Amino acid sequence: MTRRTWLAALGVAAAALVVGMCVTVAYALSTGFERAARQADLPDVLVRFDPARRAEVDARLRTLPGLEARSYRDEVTDVGLRAGGHATDRGAVHVVQGGRRGYAVVAGHDLRASRADVLVEPGLARAWGLRPGSTLDVGTLGPLRVAGEALEPDNVAYPVASAARVYVGRDDVARVFGSGEQAVSLAQLWLHPGASTDVALTQARAQSFGVRGLSFITRSGVRTLVGQAAGIVVALLVAFSLVALGAAAVMLGTAAHADVQRRLPALGVRRALGFSRRALAVAAARRAGGLAVPAALAGLALGWALARGPTDALLATLNEAPPGTAIVGPLGIGLVAVVALVVVCSTWPAWTATAAAPAALLRGGELRGRRGPRRPRAAAAERRLPPSVAVLGARMVAARRARYAGVVAVLGACAAVVLLMLALASLLERLRDDPATLGKRYSLTVSADASAVPDVEAVPGVRAAAARWQLHAVDSFALGEDLRLVAFAGNHVPFEAPPLAAGRRLASDGEAEVGVGLADTLGLAPGGTLGVQLVDGREVRFRVAGVVRALDNEGRIAYVRPARLGAAVDFTPNIAVKLEPGADRAAVARALDERGFPPRRTAGATGQNGALLGVLGDVLRVVAGGVALVVLYALVQALALTAAERRPTLALLRSLGAPARTLAVVLAGAGAALVVPAAALAIALEELLLAPVVAGLAADYADLPLTAGVDQVALVAAGLSALALLAAAWVARRVRREPIAPALKEAA
Amino acid sequence: MRRAALLVAFALAAVGCGGRAADDSAARRHPGDTRFVTLVDRDGDGRLEAGRGEPLVALGGPAGRTTKVLATFAQITDPHVRDEESPARVPFLDRLGAPFTSTFRPQEALTAQTLEAAVESVNALPLDAVVVTGDIADNAQRNELVWALEVLRGGIVRPDSGARGPSGPQLASDPDPFYYRPDVDAPRHPGLLARAQRPFRSQGLRAPWHAVLGNHDLLVQGELAPDARTQAAATGDRAVVRLDLDRLRGPALPRADRFGEGGTGPIGTATVARVLASGAAVRVTPDRGRREITPTEAGALLRRFSGRRELRAFDLGPHVRGIALDLVRRAGGSDGDVTAATLAGLRRELARAGDRPVVVFSHQPLDRSAGGNAALDLLERDPHAIAAVAGHTHRNEIRRRGRLWLITTASLVDFPQQARAFRLVRTAGGGLALETWMLDHGAGPAGLATISRDLSFLDAQGGRPGNFAGRRADRNARLNLRTGGPAPARR
Repeated sequence: MTRRTWLAALGVAAAALVVGMCVTVAYALSTGFERAARQADLPDVLVRFDPARRAEVDARLRTLPGLEARSYRDEVTDVGLRAGGHATDRGAVHVVQGGRRGYAVVAGHDLRASRADVLVEPGLARAWGLRPGSTLDVGTLGPLRVAGEALEPDNVAYPVASAARVYVGRDDVARVFGSGEQAVSLAQLWLHPGASTDVALTQARAQSFGVRGLSFITRSGVRTLVGQAAGIVVALLVAFSLVALGAAAVMLGTAAHADVQRRLPALGVRRALGFSRRALAVAAARRAGGLAVPAALAGLALGWALARGPTDALLATLNEAPPGTAIVGPLGIGLVAVVALVVVCSTWPAWTATAAAPAALLRGGELRGRRGPRRPRAAAAERRLPPSVAVLGARMVAARRARYAGVVAVLGACAAVVLLMLALASLLERLRDDPATLGKRYSLTVSADASAVPDVEAVPGVRAAAARWQLHAVDSFALGEDLRLVAFAGNHVPFEAPPLAAGRRLASDGEAEVGVGLADTLGLAPGGTLGVQLVDGREVRFRVAGVVRALDNEGRIAYVRPARLGAAVDFTPNIAVKLEPGADRAAVARALDERGFPPRRTAGATGQNGALLGVLGDVLRVVAGGVALVVLYALVQALALTAAERRPTLALLRSLGAPARTLAVVLAGAGAALVVPAAALAIALEELLLAPVVAGLAADYADLPLTAGVDQVALVAAGLSALALLAAAWVARRVRREPIAPALKEAA
Repeated sequence: MRRAALLVAFALAAVGCGGRAADDSAARRHPGDTRFVTLVDRDGDGRLEAGRGEPLVALGGPAGRTTKVLATFAQITDPHVRDEESPARVPFLDRLGAPFTSTFRPQEALTAQTLEAAVESVNALPLDAVVVTGDIADNAQRNELVWALEVLRGGIVRPDSGARGPSGPQLASDPDPFYYRPDVDAPRHPGLLARAQRPFRSQGLRAPWHAVLGNHDLLVQGELAPDARTQAAATGDRAVVRLDLDRLRGPALPRADRFGEGGTGPIGTATVARVLASGAAVRVTPDRGRREITPTEAGALLRRFSGRRELRAFDLGPHVRGIALDLVRRAGGSDGDVTAATLAGLRRELARAGDRPVVVFSHQPLDRSAGGNAALDLLERDPHAIAAVAGHTHRNEIRRRGRLWLITTASLVDFPQQARAFRLVRTAGGGLALETWMLDHGAGPAGLATISRDLSFLDAQGGRPGNFAGRRADRNARLNLRTGGPAPARR
């Protein structure tokens, strides 16, 4: 294999590596929930309620339409768990009552009636180092032997979730508390394929009279919540895969074109000997395929290997299952895509170039047609005396203007993506330490009368402030459904606005936005009516304007305006304080404190999700590293092509006694001519396009300050420069090894 | 080659779709006739689709081949046509549990349209007569009975009361999650309530029709004898929308009977008043048309709309006689009551029937009515009595008592919302056989009856979980009657 072939293979491998990483992460994240749900036989609907007699609940649930199966558990929360040096008083003990389980045993074995066993969720097993055979103290049940690990993806794993879930059999409970009838507080409902969950919920609500503390969690609801978290990452990775493939296509196409131009006389001879265009194109395709398949395989495998670790860690945090061998399919599609791209990019120039008559081909393609006039222009540019050899290099690489623009665009796009990834990773890092931003758009609160809002807004660094009341209420219809009412004086959207699942934002005093959890339980939809009973016994009604995917209070939340709440909001509200972009929160907090408004930091919905955020940051950094490889390849390819085309010029320099360093400077100048505008383009792209678009995608969840910081810009610029120098050194080394005489003859 | 592949593909498609295509074709040729096509939920997903027909099952031993059709008639029962906007409604009682089940039904705004769809389905058969076996109205209100009778007679029906347009707990503006609100709850049917209030034209029954009164036609909620209190509630402007459950501990509530229809213990209107006084109420537009009807007035309306002067007995074609028994307890209570006067009247009508075969119709089944055994004994002794046909239970059922067949039929208000067809035939050897099969209704005005059936199928308190459709032998059967040869003359 020649060096040129090696270079091409490296390019293919680099592109495939990025594709492999993106496919691995995107596929694993986008299918992780479904895979785990299938493995665990997760029910379509989970119904939670205050403990009740099983027969009483079953009499209502068995009549639901579309119901295929049902089973029951008692869920006891805030149970003390202890093992080794670990302990928590937030244990959630599920007393399994038989029937379909709704979890998958991923290690060890299931509960056995004859033994005092306990199943633990994988997150707890990981965090506490529990294995089958370990002993776990479970509240008053005492020490139980860990039978295995049970995966149930209806929630994220401990310790991201605050409660550690364990499962025990009803016999274990009977052994301690006697064999009387056990209450149940959780029903699992499986529907027939095609049956409507919404219809079942409508009937379940109609049947729920007398059942208190009712809440519904649907499988599709869990999927939506998980999906919205993973959705941005997946969308980014898919977009970046396309960018990487586009970059590879540009570079491979350019290389193939140059290669074809170089081989035009040989192609002419073959055409003269009677080879058809098709035969020549097929030969080119075969050659490209032979190169692309092993290179793409290697790249994809490496990408998969690099991304698998962080991705599996992320999935485990989400209580989801890794794809295992199922990833082979998507990677196979990636392989086909990469190879097809390489083959097309390599074959097309051969196909178009051989359209000319054999005689014209034998005369040499570089001197004919529309390409002809450019060479004299480029040569003229080079003939002008450059102020330094570095500028000569810049002129050389810029002479092919279209290619130059293409390479700069590719480098700029790649660098912009790297900038975005770094900004995202940095944001996630910040969120890990300071989870205030996500879920809420204000950073501080102060307890003060609503009349103090203008004073708070006058504090430097404060962008806006609004009075916020939060109160508890219950539904009006004896469901015993407690809900959280959040009332903002004025528009709440700038301060706190979970994403809309249906309908629109509230626009008047009589309207409300309700969380999905509340909507599912009370059967609320846009156009419906929310009736709540306040602590003073009054009933207040709101027209439902929209349903929001709120995370707080398991979605049992409603956003309203305070006007209808009357005396119920006769208490000092919290004033939500939103900061100016880039404002120092500590400084603003000090300033508020000095003015007599002692502030509190806002706790976001993801306050306990530090581990998840950290893993997400790792994933993004790995992908950014992959992108750097693409940048390096693009630079090497561009410089190598320039060097090949300007062999006579470089040979002339060498014949005049230029040292090796001069050649490197020439090529470094060429590299600089590429990376300096690329860096500028990257900053502009990130600032003006990518950051707003991604922030817009996430706008429903939070204000994401995704504009890259100076340090990140400097890091990317330095990285680009370093890669340019690396590429220049490598290409200069190659050029020095070539003989001078043939190149000088070519010039003559 | 390509043509061959296409042929193979068509053949495969034909094989694959053969069953469904045959079902659809049968449905077109015999609309609603379950001998040819039924409605089933094959995959348990809560949606009904066309299924295979159910040929008649022979019961009571093999009957000879048919030599002559003596009569063909149909039964419609328990349409429970209701004024769902009435302040006299008590849909909130459901949440007390049994016996207050199905005081609210998701499809309750569509009862008049469902009855009209059943009328259209029955009209597709060449019939000698149609018998409506009670619970024509739901809450003894005059407007309910008039709407139902208008549907049966034919003409413009205006199923709206009070203020024009829909009202009641099913509006989207009602925040109570216990009610199905078609604008916001699944399955969503935006505008359904408004469409349900629009006038529609009924084609009316083409065959001569006769009606028997049921407990819901004369008693408030099928339970209470109307009095001044209930009249005031029905025609007033105060509608109770919610009960304070904690204040309901005191009243002695009636026990559920074993058939789930209402209570067996008497319950006074004073108790009802006390219960209703504990609830939250809203203002509604009063409507005099909602007044509760008296038995005399109900009888007069039946005569006027059906055009029959005689309600107690009628011809089912030239060869068969029908006898109607009114078993409604005027003093209250949902169970039937066979009084001495009723028994005497039955004896008289049997004698008047002469040698013709007799079918007895009542709302409550005789075997589940006080004094019903005496009536059944009488019928069993009469060689011409062949069957006692009733409604009330809302379920399809065919049983035998001695030589008499006892048949109950599903209601039009709960799933499966079917009517029943009968054909009395003479068989080879001189015997008789009664063939019976169920009739599904069609789409009805603006397709509302189909929505009604779909909703009734989903109703978790309705006929689906209660298996009101019965076993196959409760639906389509050929009942052998051991009354071969000329009957002995009655004394």
